[in-house]
Formats: sequence, structure tokens, C-alpha cells
Amino acid sequence: MTLTLSAIEKSFGSKKVLTGVSFSAEGGKAFGLLGRNGAGKTTAIRILMDVFPADSGEVLLDGRPIDYRHVSLGYLPEERGLYPKKIIWEQLVYFAMLKGLTRADAIAAVDKWLARLGLSEYRNKKLDTLSKGNQQKIQLITALAHDPAIVVLDEPFSGLDPVNAMLLKDVVKEEIAKGKIVLFSSHQMNYIEEFCDSIAILNQGRVALTGDLHSIKRAYPRNRLFIRTENEAPLLSAFPEVCRKAPGGGLFFDLAAAVFRAWPPLPAAEDKSSVMTALAGRYDIDEIKVWEPSLNDIFVAYAGNDPMASGGTQ
Amino acid sequence: MKQFGHIFSFELKYYFKSKVFIGITLFLVLLIAIVMFVPRLASGEDDDVDVSQLPPMLVKVDFETDPALASMVFSNFQSAFSDYRVLAAHDHMTKEDVSGMVANREVACAFVLDSLTSFTYYVDDLSMYDENSTVAATLLGNLYRMNVMLESGLSPEEIEEIMQTPIESHVEALGNDQTQNFFYTYIMLFALYVVILLYGQMTASSVASEKSSRAMELLITSAKPLNMMFGKVLAACTAGLVQLAAVFGSAFLFYNINKSYWEDNLMIRMIFDMPPSLLGYLLAFFLFGFLLYAFLYGAIGSTVSKLEELNSSCMPVTLLYVIATMTVIMNVAMGETNSTLIKVLSYVPFSSPLAMFARVAMSSVAWYEIAISFAILAASVVGVGVLSAKIYRVGVLLYGNRPTLKDIFKMIRRA
Repeated sequence: MTLTLSAIEKSFGSKKVLTGVSFSAEGGKAFGLLGRNGAGKTTAIRILMDVFPADSGEVLLDGRPIDYRHVSLGYLPEERGLYPKKIIWEQLVYFAMLKGLTRADAIAAVDKWLARLGLSEYRNKKLDTLSKGNQQKIQLITALAHDPAIVVLDEPFSGLDPVNAMLLKDVVKEEIAKGKIVLFSSHQMNYIEEFCDSIAILNQGRVALTGDLHSIKRAYPRNRLFIRTENEAPLLSAFPEVCRKAPGGGLFFDLAAAVFRAWPPLPAAEDKSSVMTALAGRYDIDEIKVWEPSLNDIFVAYAGNDPMASGGTQ
Repeated sequence: MKQFGHIFSFELKYYFKSKVFIGITLFLVLLIAIVMFVPRLASGEDDDVDVSQLPPMLVKVDFETDPALASMVFSNFQSAFSDYRVLAAHDHMTKEDVSGMVANREVACAFVLDSLTSFTYYVDDLSMYDENSTVAATLLGNLYRMNVMLESGLSPEEIEEIMQTPIESHVEALGNDQTQNFFYTYIMLFALYVVILLYGQMTASSVASEKSSRAMELLITSAKPLNMMFGKVLAACTAGLVQLAAVFGSAFLFYNINKSYWEDNLMIRMIFDMPPSLLGYLLAFFLFGFLLYAFLYGAIGSTVSKLEELNSSCMPVTLLYVIATMTVIMNVAMGETNSTLIKVLSYVPFSSPLAMFARVAMSSVAWYEIAISFAILAASVVGVGVLSAKIYRVGVLLYGNRPTLKDIFKMIRRA
């Protein structure tokens, strides 16, 4: 199962919100939709959820225009909110029925999910009597109870304590394992990095980068080393042109021509493992590896307005 | 359609479970029950009325007359003022004594008769509804005429025949009888007014609270705006109808249980003597009028981000409705249901539910006039319904500043 947004354009009045947005998400894998605030993520999600139509472009499922009557979608909006003064169980059943379940199926699904998330005791309480984290878990049930084929989770981890975050991770992994298309939108890069195989980064309504996360990382030039050491000064003074402090701690060591000026000479820059062995032999180094950008680095590089301004190596 | 059903029943359940809805309905039914059972309960006490508990009324015959006439005057007062304990004043009491007793509240009121054609009524505070003086004047007038006839030689039987001769009268109202229809028209107009306003605003606040609690984010991805709008409005409409039915139904039920006790009360009898066809009109006008305003209110609710803004946003529609209603009710009160103004208002969709209902109830309206008014109203309901669903569709996604009418229409054109 492949969900594809193809050349989506959307304007609100004179404001162009999405320009030629295209990306694909595979079933059984999680997809991360990233972008800064106002980049067009919510608009893209709303078009995907059929809240309003795109000006042009298509939403395709397995290459054919998606038929919302036959495909069920689950959505956890970033702006959380249900009926605060109504009984939890009643509103969950209501939302499941709106999504097409029969009353009996809805009741069974809601009870199953309340038990799964450890919320059965709150079944007959009003929503506003629950803590924020528990309200969020209740909201998650509205996205999953009807067993949708496509799950869209907008900032699912915000506001959850580590134990609940772990529970949610398990739930998400289960959904992915069932072969569903899980679409994440989040600013918490560590979660995206943990779950998502593919990403799309939106910047000012355009897709700045999309594809398989692993390939994206491998595509970066692998000409920089990352070094962690207690004693940074000797390295910094020996290689002033190529060695500098990395933003998050540690050192960057660029494998540029300059390394050959060292005495005794280092191995050729192409022979990365020999360079690493040589450096580790000469200096007191705890960790040395070929630097690979984190998703955070990639995000800052592509979602920032100037791709060259940050730690990116391009 | 299935989705509409779910929304409709969820919303309707909300009304039926709401404490306010149950409370108001029960309160009204109870109030009607109490009012309707009052004469029955009161009449139960009548059987053993304790005369000594009645307010005392003093009557002083202050002119030379034979004792027979004096006692006749007294017994006539007793039967005419059955809700008083009529006492005869002692001969030695002066007018000042009598007025003093009234002033000291030893008696509720007093009559001092200077002759059969002249009397003074003493009372401490003269109530607006005090008719004692008129009753006494009629009573004494009759006594005076009987006395004169007796003196001129007529026998008591002849006198009685003269006095009791009934006058046959027939009134034939060829159209509607306004004196009869006035009360129930007024009550029904008022009920229409309250229910439409109440449930219209409830629709608006229900939409606005979904938006402010952000439940809307989920709703718009779960259901079609048209289903949401129609489900909500029709649920409110049904709740309003149920409440109307409960209130009017219990009123009819309790009236019929106590019918025999209400025979003396012309007003109540006239209210319940309403043609059943009028109830049909009430239902139809309620339905259409309600839908028209509820769609508008729902659309307004969708443009509001915060509940605090709701009242000021609803103001234009509420004002339109209040002015339309007041104009109709004032014209009904003046009996002017055939004026040009009311005729015009009975075709304007925002006032026609009330104005046409008033005309149907209080005057004669040709069937085609009703049909035209209905057709305009129904077309407006459809038009406003579609427009509202469009406003709703764009309104629910808007947060932040309240959009102006111009903004809204711009958005609809774009949507």
C-alpha cells in the first residue's frame, strides 16, 4: 500500500500555502512529515484528510485517486481537544461510529483500547477530570479505535511522560507492524529518527527534501570525522584549519588536503579508517567515527531559510 | 446519511440528558399542573368554607326606611358579596365610626347608604381590581327600581318577570373571532418566540464550544460539514419540539382533567378552545422558522473562536428576530392583524413564521396566501441552510480574530 501526494497546490486567497508538494509513504513503514511552524504541514494533512480539496494535484493510494468512502483514516490533531464535559466512553464510541463502525464494534474497540492504554477506570468519567497526559491518550483512541489503514499522528509525543511515551511507542510500532501507513508530524527529531524510514521536509510550502532517511544520510559526503576527547586542545592546535568544536560537544575533523601537512604525515584522506587509527594512536581520544548528519542537522539544513548556514556539509 | 444519524442522535441525547433541559421542562409542566389544579383544590375547600375566616364588610343603612326593606338590602349584599362576611352596622354608629373601623382595619371595607340611590364606599387601599362599588351600584339600582315598581302597585311576580326578561343576542363572527383567539395566539406567539430564540442560541453555542474546545479538529476530519450542521440543527429542533409538546400537551391534559372546575373562567376556557388545525400551523411555522434561524445561529457559532465572543456575534440575528417578533406581537395586541405591515411581514421569511401564524389565528387568510408565504419560507430555509453549511465549512477552521461579514463572504466565494 502506497500513499502518494502528487503535485499538490493550495492557496488561501493570495497566500500560496503549498507549491507542488509531492511525497510517498509506504504501508508497514512510518513516514515523517517535517517542517517549521507555518511550513504547510497542517494544510497538507488536511488535504490528505479531505477537509478541503487541493487547488490542483492528487492524493493517490496505490496509484489511484484515494476513495475516502472506502479508506479509513485516523487522525491525532496537534491541537488536542474533545468534549470536555462529556463522558469519555460515550464520546469515544461516537467518534468511532462517525468513522463508520457499528455501535457494537465501536463499543468493543473503545473498551479494548481503554484497557490497552490503562484507562479503563476512567471509562465513565468526564474528560476534563483527567490529567493532560491521560486526555492525550484518550485522544489517541479516537485516531486508532476504528482500525484505520492510514494513521496520521501530529506531535503524538508532546506532553507525555517517559512511561507514557514508551507505551505510545509500543502502540505505534504495533500499528506499523500491522502494515499500516503511519504518518508522523513532529518537531521532536529523536522520535522521528527512531520510527521513520522515510521523511519529507517542507519549507515554505515546498518539499525541500524527501526520501529514505538512511539513503539521505548516506548521501551526505562522508569527509568529516567526529571525535570525542577529554583533551581537545592538542588536536585543535595541531590541525587549526580542519579541526573545530562541534555544536553539540566534541570535535569535527574535516578530511581536507590540510591533513597532509601534519608531521609525521597522516595516511591519505580517502583511507578514513587509517586516518582514524593514526589519530587515535597519537592523541587521547575516547571516540572517533565518520560523521553522519543527525536528522536534526538535516532538518536545520533544509527547513532553515538558508541551507548553507548551519552544520550541513554541502 | 448514516453519519447524519449518528450526529443527530448524539446531539439529541445531549439535550435530553442536559440538566437544564430536563429542569426547565419539568418546571414548566409542574407549574402548569399547579395552575390547572388550583380551582379543583380550591373548590374542595369550598364545601366547608369557614365564614368567620372571610374578610368582614360593614353595611350601614343610614336612612329612614321600614325594616323589611333594610333587611332586604342586607340580604342582597350578603348574596352579592359572597367572599365577604357582611355585617350590619349598629344603628347608633355614625359615619365617622364606620370610616374609623375601616381605617383601623377592623373591617376590610364598608358601605354607608344615604338612600337607595346614594352610598359611600369606604376602603383602606383601593385596589385596581376593586369592583365592589360597581357591584353595589348595580345591586342598589335594581332594589330601587323594584321598590318604585312595588309602590306603583305591581305585584312581586310581575316585577320579577320584568327584571328577569332575558335578551336574546347572537354574534356571528364570519371570519375569526379575535376576542376568542387573542389569548391563545398570544401564548403561542410567545412560545414560538422563546423556543426559537433559546434553541437557536443553543445551536450557536454548541458549535462554538466544539470549536473552542478544539473537538472541531477531530470532527471535521471525521464527518462532513453538511452532516454536522444538519445533525446539530435538527437535533435542537427536535428537542424544542419535544419541549413544546411536553408543555402544551401537559397543559391540555391537566385542563381536561380539571375542565369542570374551569367553566367559570372565560379566559382559560377561550385559551383551550383552540382549533386543532392551529396546532398544525404552529408546528409547521415552528419547524420552518426554527430551521431558518438555527442555520444562521449555527453559521455564526462556527465563525467564533472563543465562547465569550458568541453573544456579540449573535447580536445582529437576535436583534432581527426580536424586532420582527415585537412588531408582530404589538400588532396582535392592538388587534391589527390585517394591517399592511403585518401582511408584508407575513411574506418576509425572517418574520413570516410569526406574522403568518398570527394572521391565520386572528383573521381570515386565503389558502394561497399561506401557501405563498410557506413557499418563500421553505425556499429561504434551503438557501440559508446551504449558505450556512458553506460558512460553517470555512468558519470552523478559522481561529484568531473574529472575521467580518465581508471576510466570510470572500471565503465562501473561494471555498
